[in-house]
Amino acid sequence: MSTVATYPSFSGRLAWFSNPTLARFMRHKLAVLGVVMITLLVLACVFGPYLLHYTDLSIDIRNRFSPPLTGNHYLGTDALGRDTAARLLNAGRISLTVGFFAMLISTLIGTLIGVVAGYYRGWIGAALMRFVDAFLSFPSVFLVLVLAAFIKPSPTMITLIIAVTSWMEISRIVEAEIRSLRERDFTLAARMVGASHRWIMFRELVPNAIGPIIVAATLTIANAILLEAYISFLGYGIQPPLPSWGNMLNAAQQYLGNAPWLAIIPGLAITLAVTSFNFIGDGLRDALDGRSDLK
Amino acid sequence: MSQCDDSEKGNSLFNPTRRQALAMAVIGAAGVMLPLGRPSQAFAAAKAAAAGQVIIGLSQEPTVFNPHMPHIEVDEGIHWNIFDPLFGISPSGEFTPALAVEVPTVANGGISADGLQWKVKLREGVKWHDGTPFTAEDVKYTLELIVNPEFRSGRRAGHDLVRDITVVSPTEIHWRMEKSYAPYASILSWTFMVPKHVLSAAADVNNAPFNNAPIGTGPFKWASRVAGDHIQLKANPDYYGTLAQIDSVIFKYIPDLTVLYTQFKTGDIDVTAMQGITPDHYEEAKGLAERTVVVLPVATVESVALNLERPQFKDPAVRKALYLAIDKKTIIDELYYGLVLPTETYMPQQSAYYNPNLPKQGFNIDEANKILDQAGWKPGAGGIREKDGVRLSFTNSTTAGNQIREQAQQFMQQTWLAIGVEMKISNLPPAVMWGDYWMQSKFDSAVVGINFLTGADPDTRDYFGSTSTSAKGGAGQNTMQYSNAKVDELLAQGASLQDVAQRKAVYLQVQEIIRDDLPMLPLFQYTYLRGYKSQLKGFAGNINLRIEPWNVNTWSWA
Amino acid sequence: MPQYILNRLGQSAVVLVLVSLIGFIVLNLAPGGPMSQFALNPGMSQAELDRIAEQMGLKRPLMVQYFEWFTRLFIGDWGHSFRDGRPVLSVIAGHLPATLLLMGTATVLSVIVGTWVGVLGAVRRYSVFDTLATVGAMVALSIPTFWFGLVAIFLFSLHLGWLPAGNMYTIGDRSLGDYATHLILPVAVLALVNVAIWSRYMRSATLDVIDQDFVRTARAKGLPYRRVLTHHVIRNALLPMITLAGLQIPTILGGALVTETVFTWPGMGRLFLDSLGYSDYPVIMGILMFSAILVLLGNLLADLLVGVADPRVRLG
Repeated sequence: MSTVATYPSFSGRLAWFSNPTLARFMRHKLAVLGVVMITLLVLACVFGPYLLHYTDLSIDIRNRFSPPLTGNHYLGTDALGRDTAARLLNAGRISLTVGFFAMLISTLIGTLIGVVAGYYRGWIGAALMRFVDAFLSFPSVFLVLVLAAFIKPSPTMITLIIAVTSWMEISRIVEAEIRSLRERDFTLAARMVGASHRWIMFRELVPNAIGPIIVAATLTIANAILLEAYISFLGYGIQPPLPSWGNMLNAAQQYLGNAPWLAIIPGLAITLAVTSFNFIGDGLRDALDGRSDLK
Repeated sequence: MSQCDDSEKGNSLFNPTRRQALAMAVIGAAGVMLPLGRPSQAFAAAKAAAAGQVIIGLSQEPTVFNPHMPHIEVDEGIHWNIFDPLFGISPSGEFTPALAVEVPTVANGGISADGLQWKVKLREGVKWHDGTPFTAEDVKYTLELIVNPEFRSGRRAGHDLVRDITVVSPTEIHWRMEKSYAPYASILSWTFMVPKHVLSAAADVNNAPFNNAPIGTGPFKWASRVAGDHIQLKANPDYYGTLAQIDSVIFKYIPDLTVLYTQFKTGDIDVTAMQGITPDHYEEAKGLAERTVVVLPVATVESVALNLERPQFKDPAVRKALYLAIDKKTIIDELYYGLVLPTETYMPQQSAYYNPNLPKQGFNIDEANKILDQAGWKPGAGGIREKDGVRLSFTNSTTAGNQIREQAQQFMQQTWLAIGVEMKISNLPPAVMWGDYWMQSKFDSAVVGINFLTGADPDTRDYFGSTSTSAKGGAGQNTMQYSNAKVDELLAQGASLQDVAQRKAVYLQVQEIIRDDLPMLPLFQYTYLRGYKSQLKGFAGNINLRIEPWNVNTWSWA
Repeated sequence: MPQYILNRLGQSAVVLVLVSLIGFIVLNLAPGGPMSQFALNPGMSQAELDRIAEQMGLKRPLMVQYFEWFTRLFIGDWGHSFRDGRPVLSVIAGHLPATLLLMGTATVLSVIVGTWVGVLGAVRRYSVFDTLATVGAMVALSIPTFWFGLVAIFLFSLHLGWLPAGNMYTIGDRSLGDYATHLILPVAVLALVNVAIWSRYMRSATLDVIDQDFVRTARAKGLPYRRVLTHHVIRNALLPMITLAGLQIPTILGGALVTETVFTWPGMGRLFLDSLGYSDYPVIMGILMFSAILVLLGNLLADLLVGVADPRVRLG
């Protein structure tokens, strides 16, 4: 959503990892906050379930709809009397994993298409970029829903569906980046010493475009988490009994009047995770942008 | 989509000589006698002009207004108010004359003794909403349209047997049946007559203007539609039957049940029809001032359908153990707030053919474990039982998004795990679930709500007959692939018998065998929760139909 | 310029063909289909389902179906809805006003608020207001729209009872006030995200302008600050926003879809979701094509407008 910005390019590998960048990032308070929040969230999702009194699947129907802080149910129970805290953390594992892998796949697709289009240009580049335009010209929500409504839902499928509909932004960024990089001296030098196209593309150009890719990837995770939540909320995504933040919201919708906490808690979790990734992405953009200087 | 989106189906063989005996009592909320609705009624004494309006909330949108094109149940709410059949069916299962002067029977000479010759006398002086007189030509046109290969007909079964339609006079029509087909009377009771002069003038009947501005003979006329929002009907002052007292009927589409309920509470809508009130709102809804909430039994039965060709389900001991390990009481009392009716059979409890003496299921994990132990199913890896290389592990599917059903599913999953059975939940979008996956028996097990009957007839060969499995080349919906020679024999016998008492004995036995074989594990019979403003009089369910607003012409504001 | 427009139109046409192919393939290769909704109707059998599918032309080879559908697009025949048989274009046209009302109100609101917040943030860079606005925008972009809608319904409709929980108007009362009360919640929810996006871009655009020479000159001439701001800074900062507005169409449309589903708003988003539920392929394809055309037109117009507004930009 907020990735329309200009990315500077970097000469020299690993420049993005050098100290000034890190220092700039560390000065970005919100980004650091984002890193801290996401680390805590991941730790909680990984280890939290072992510390709770209940598992996410233990049904206790006599104690359904207990409000938060009832006995050892810190966040209350749902319509089957399952512990909301346990479900929230296990759902976090699924939602974050889906978001992460969707980002990974879409970054791969996006980078690949962007690099090829930017490097070869000509009709290959034009064809690929029209393909990108085609995918960009309907709201990704529409496309995701069309796919999800007619496909047997599983976490893998949902991850793929999200990935397939969110790679376009990255390929646009990469294409623009590569297009300018390929005219630089080091590319010409590599071509002169007889390096293959593949070598130039993936050993010379991509590492130099890694900064913008990382920024876009971070924001893609944020969007992927939102998308998963939305399609699961509509009932087309992750299916119960597997919990995800989105399908917890779906299940909570019917009981909004009587058990509002069931809707409020997972929504807060989603907001927290997505905000963190957006903060990190913003910080990375500033840190990687040589021109920006936070005073 | 809906709790009963997957309801209603059945091709019953039903003998014309005893159709009047099919009694299905309808239980109202407080056991009150429900007023009879629709055409058979005596004329309203006072012909006061209709006034006022009623807003009916629906959670699905009616979109198909030609009653003979493929449609879903919500569309029938409109059909029943705009159109008339030759004769309808009352909540107690009796046919009531509408466009026909009397219901044809063998006794009154309307049907020949062999069931082949039909003679129907039509009401005189009936007019279409555009003023054109209704005649026997319209009936002929309707019956022919349904089987016209050019026409995208929703249902042809039964009508395809009609031959030699003869218009004897504007008020009399005769036809011959290719063979005696007993359920035809039942089918005719929801076959609405459509106007020949309008439809035959259309260039393409499948896309006729009529399909979006229907013209009927019914108590209400089409007024307007705002797609995606609402449909408005106006009282027909020239109706031949009970004149509507409410002038304007609005069917309002509200896709979200929470919003539907909220608007019922605030009074924005007067009646909650299809989907109505969710069970978790029942207690609160009952306490609302000036609102009446009713529990209407419907003929749909919820069950776990088992695909009997799967090796896991071939052993009757497994099916028995699975059934014993369902905590039905908790599912009904807690998840459905005790509002649905526990059952042991596919037959609705209001049917005269219902068998009340079937053994009652009791939740018993120990007994279930014992049965499986004795049958040689030994716990294997992960505590899941197995025998001869078959693990007691299978998937269970239903429409994704049906909240309460999904909860019941997860609850069964837990109790089944306690007897060493692994059930994996794999719910699907409706378009996938009820496509080939269901019709061609590609599922392991499914939670499904089915109306096993057609109208009031007890015949269920389409569901339990061994030749009704699509996956084996049959025509029908025996997707469980159930096959029992004794049941086949009994079902054939039941369809050929004339005497109600004899017939009843047959169907009681069928229910006994099916309760014993357990091709499906019966859970409960559905009820609809419907609410309306207490000043509204005349609202009534009809267990023989698929939707409630079927008799709006008998509604009135106190 | 005409050459440029022709080029762009040509590219757009290629994109539209691709959009239609992607949509068509996805819809038709997926299992299930329009017949499944009738599967449990009384008296239904596989043979009957096959007959209806045949009559609807669904049994023909996919390529044939695609080409027939595609060629008819050019004579303005977008097919007929599987549900009510009406032409797809009029089905879409029937749902468009509701969406436009919602999107329009929300966009106007977010442009006004977003411009104000953005400019103020840029002028008072790193002030408390600026920091709060920046953080607020980031959080607003991170809140799931549908969840925010749910919480709003819970709070203002179920709990407080101040506002309706959904729909566009009350039947029998279609006064302006009635529309307005129904608009408040969905517009607020939809505008939240848009204000966030708009204010952030406005802030950086203003920052770009504010340090430029002509602004300094204007200030040096002794023009009042407010006048400089409105006449020089904002006017120039708004220029890149025209392009942004074009680029934002998919986001706004997507946001409207989500908002409509939560508030049962009778617009295109609702239509899309309903059509998915009933496997109404012609309408789904119609909406995909329609939104693609809208997006492409938006981009094209934005480019042209920038050219008109700023002679320095040479197109082509």
